[in-house]
Amino acid sequence: MAIDMSQFYQVFFEESAEHLATMESLLLGLDVGNPDPEELNAIFRAAHSIKGSAGTFGFTDLSETTHILENLLDRIRKQELELRADMVDAFLEAGDLLKSMLAAHQGQGAVDGAVAEALRQRLRRLSAGGEVPVAPPVTAADPPPVAPPVAPPGIRVFDIQFVPTAASAAGDGVTHFVDDLKRLGTLAVHGKPDPGGDQVGFWHLRLTTEAGQDAFEEQLDFIADAGAWRIALDTSCDADGAQAFGLFDGSPGTPEDEAGYGFFDPPARVVEDDSFGFFEPLPTHPAPPKLVVIEADEAYGLFEPVAAKHEPVSGAQNEEAEGYGFFVPLPAAPAAGSEAPVAGQVVEEGDGFGFFVPVSPAVPVQPAPVATAVTGVQKESPTPQPMPRESATKPRAAASAPAASDSSIRVSVEKVDQLINLVGELVITQAMLQQCAIQLQDSAPERLVSGLAQLERNTRDLQESVMSIRMLPISFVFSRFPRVVRDLSGKLGKQVELRTSGETTELDKSLIERITDPLTHLIRNSLDHGIESPEKRVAAGKSPVGTITLKAYHQGGNIVIEVGDDGAGLNRQKILAKARERGLQVSEQMSDGDVFNLIFEAGFSTADQVTDVSGRGVGMDVVRRNIQAMGGRVDIESMAGIGTRMTVRLPLTLAILDGMSVAVGDHTYILPLASVVESLQPKEGDIKTLSNLARVIQVRGEYLPVVVLRELFNLEGAVADFTQGIMVILEADGSKAALFVDALVGQHQVVIKSLEANYRRVPCVSGATIMGDGHVALILDVSALAGRAKSNLPKAA
Amino acid sequence: MEITQAGTAAVADEDLVASEYLTFTLGSEEYAIDILKVQEIRGYEPPTLIANAPPFIKGVINLRGIIVPIVDLRIKFNLAQVEYTPFTVVIILNVANRVIGAVVDSVSDVISMTPQQVRPAPDFSASFDTKYILGLATVENRMLIVIDIAQLMTSRDMELMDAAD
Repeated sequence: MAIDMSQFYQVFFEESAEHLATMESLLLGLDVGNPDPEELNAIFRAAHSIKGSAGTFGFTDLSETTHILENLLDRIRKQELELRADMVDAFLEAGDLLKSMLAAHQGQGAVDGAVAEALRQRLRRLSAGGEVPVAPPVTAADPPPVAPPVAPPGIRVFDIQFVPTAASAAGDGVTHFVDDLKRLGTLAVHGKPDPGGDQVGFWHLRLTTEAGQDAFEEQLDFIADAGAWRIALDTSCDADGAQAFGLFDGSPGTPEDEAGYGFFDPPARVVEDDSFGFFEPLPTHPAPPKLVVIEADEAYGLFEPVAAKHEPVSGAQNEEAEGYGFFVPLPAAPAAGSEAPVAGQVVEEGDGFGFFVPVSPAVPVQPAPVATAVTGVQKESPTPQPMPRESATKPRAAASAPAASDSSIRVSVEKVDQLINLVGELVITQAMLQQCAIQLQDSAPERLVSGLAQLERNTRDLQESVMSIRMLPISFVFSRFPRVVRDLSGKLGKQVELRTSGETTELDKSLIERITDPLTHLIRNSLDHGIESPEKRVAAGKSPVGTITLKAYHQGGNIVIEVGDDGAGLNRQKILAKARERGLQVSEQMSDGDVFNLIFEAGFSTADQVTDVSGRGVGMDVVRRNIQAMGGRVDIESMAGIGTRMTVRLPLTLAILDGMSVAVGDHTYILPLASVVESLQPKEGDIKTLSNLARVIQVRGEYLPVVVLRELFNLEGAVADFTQGIMVILEADGSKAALFVDALVGQHQVVIKSLEANYRRVPCVSGATIMGDGHVALILDVSALAGRAKSNLPKAA
Repeated sequence: MEITQAGTAAVADEDLVASEYLTFTLGSEEYAIDILKVQEIRGYEPPTLIANAPPFIKGVINLRGIIVPIVDLRIKFNLAQVEYTPFTVVIILNVANRVIGAVVDSVSDVISMTPQQVRPAPDFSASFDTKYILGLATVENRMLIVIDIAQLMTSRDMELMDAAD
């Protein structure tokens, strides 16, 4: 009997997509110079699995491509070939090709046969082992824009930039900080806010000291918000006219305690800037140095050309149009010719920044064949990291991804939801039994009581574990961004480091699915508009490598996801001008927050040029809409020249809510605890009326509109006297209101049920839930209540 | 049987297929609805009131984890006497992918009828819109009002759905 294979297609598509994702995360995390055999095996296994099942199902294009891929991987695995960065690129592209093939088989789009064939050819060539890229010409065309200074041993120069918080600026915080810095060493103030008025503004200090960064870092963190300060170990200061060139031959044997950053430490001196490594030339070596080059599409980094007699290499080309990076001519290497030494092994790395490190085989201290690029900001990482941009996330993601996929089963979400519903019922039944036992009081048998107590514990545990099925770590979303950043920064010619934290923060699966697109958009936006081009960054005194931080953490009942960049920040004037152009109501008096929020308006874009990345003005409004649809919100903070931070706040899950139950008459309502500010019992005369219509109550100096739930919902039997009930102060969407109810009942975690599924939207009600006794309670929509209170006021006034 | 004899050449085959109907009473009237639309029958328990809803929407109940709105058809059909006794039942209907509860005085029977047995109702502009009446049927000298429950429940006057639906 013939088996209809098509019924298994969906499983195959899902599995293959999973294998591809694993492969990609492994590839991105792969240490090119020293690949972990285990990781290579894992990549090989992923490709092999796809090939196997593709063959079974008759998807020949997939199996052919994976076959070639597998051949190459196999040779690398068996160490017949050495892994090179261009191979990793080819693998990644092959992964993309396979993805589009999968999509094509699922009826989405088509695959360009020529592209597929070209890639297959490329893989074959790589597999044949022939293709070793020719060393690109290396040049010293540009003089170093910044001259690394000579610093005496142990003395370091810190470049400190910060914007103090209003509180510390108003107090003595900043003054004390500056005084403390003066005690540590020589302090030069390069920029400070205008005296008088508040001191909230941009400070730029330069400290020359023997002390370490930790001596003042904490204090700085205290007076300025996280993200609003930056310390850079700087070598690009004015240090007495010392020249970069002098350094290399001038200070051999300088104690170098920064070796841990991944610099190669041959006998001569290594200098590092806050984001560059400098090469370790071997000036006195008789043989022409062999260059190991990490070449990048938009290569930046420090090119260490080999110069003869203090002359830049003649005839060499700087192929990098944007020409950033420091070119440090290597001082005379006696036997070095102008071109000969350049020939060496070249490792190409997508858009990495690399440093050219002359390696002499004769020098034993040179352990690794590949130069290590280092961003100085990553000071906490003591080991050499070949792919620093992704190092923060990838190893962890790579380690967790295979484990997660190996030990999981695929279950439909409906089944999980059904389970959650059933457990909910179980909890209600258990509560009912408990109630019965309490009513029996002393006559209840001991064993019944203890059995019920155990049942309660077990059901609670069961409920918790069932709920946790839906929770996934946010790394599922974050893990795709290294690739997004890698590809996009390459395309835009920018150098960007992505740093992520809080990947283990868990949130509901439905949120995970829906947050991906908005987050991707925010990151693309930061990359395109936020991070400046490397030249501009250098001109602004920043490291040419921009940083995008992606952070997730819990705060209250919310999960907070921050997308921050250290780019140019939003341009207030430009946004205002654009808003006027579009005929929006704006004024100079608008607060920064209001101005920045304009970028969420539909069709709003301040990009001068429409790129294929962004600038069409669609997107930010969609981002905001999507986030609001999830019950979350997005805020922008930005400082010109410092950076921008988008903060997305989401409820932990769409299914559970921390609620406070309130009683009005016989009815119970649930208020989301997150929006309850406080509750108080009004005294006689606390409630004032406006024009005899709207009522207000004064709470801590603020007049808040009063919403009487009894009147709003036409409930009978509720307390009418204000002094007999409770005012619950609610806050939503930045506005506050006082809700008058009979009494507060308690605090519960409630499972949100949709009213719309079988009924329809009810004004001022966001959903319903089932209480412990099996009754339904409605969850109040606080923003609608607050909005109603607001709209009542002007009407009355 | 009489049904099979009626199956002459003039009648289409589908008319021969008997369908089962659930009959229930509202006051003195007896109604019949397609039994395939009925999910279950349960006793009446006081639902949770929904503010500012029309009076015939009694509120919502918890049916094994799902929130189900309860409609009192007696109020909707303007019956004089509406009281909730231990015999008051709720018919849980499954129409248009929604679960809705309808309060009726009592459920009487499940009967089998062919479409032929259902006669068109006379056109009268009563309080109850005849467009939801499929017809009238006589079974054992009782008159049954056969109603299209799905259309009734999804209609705009029931106010059970958002206007956008």
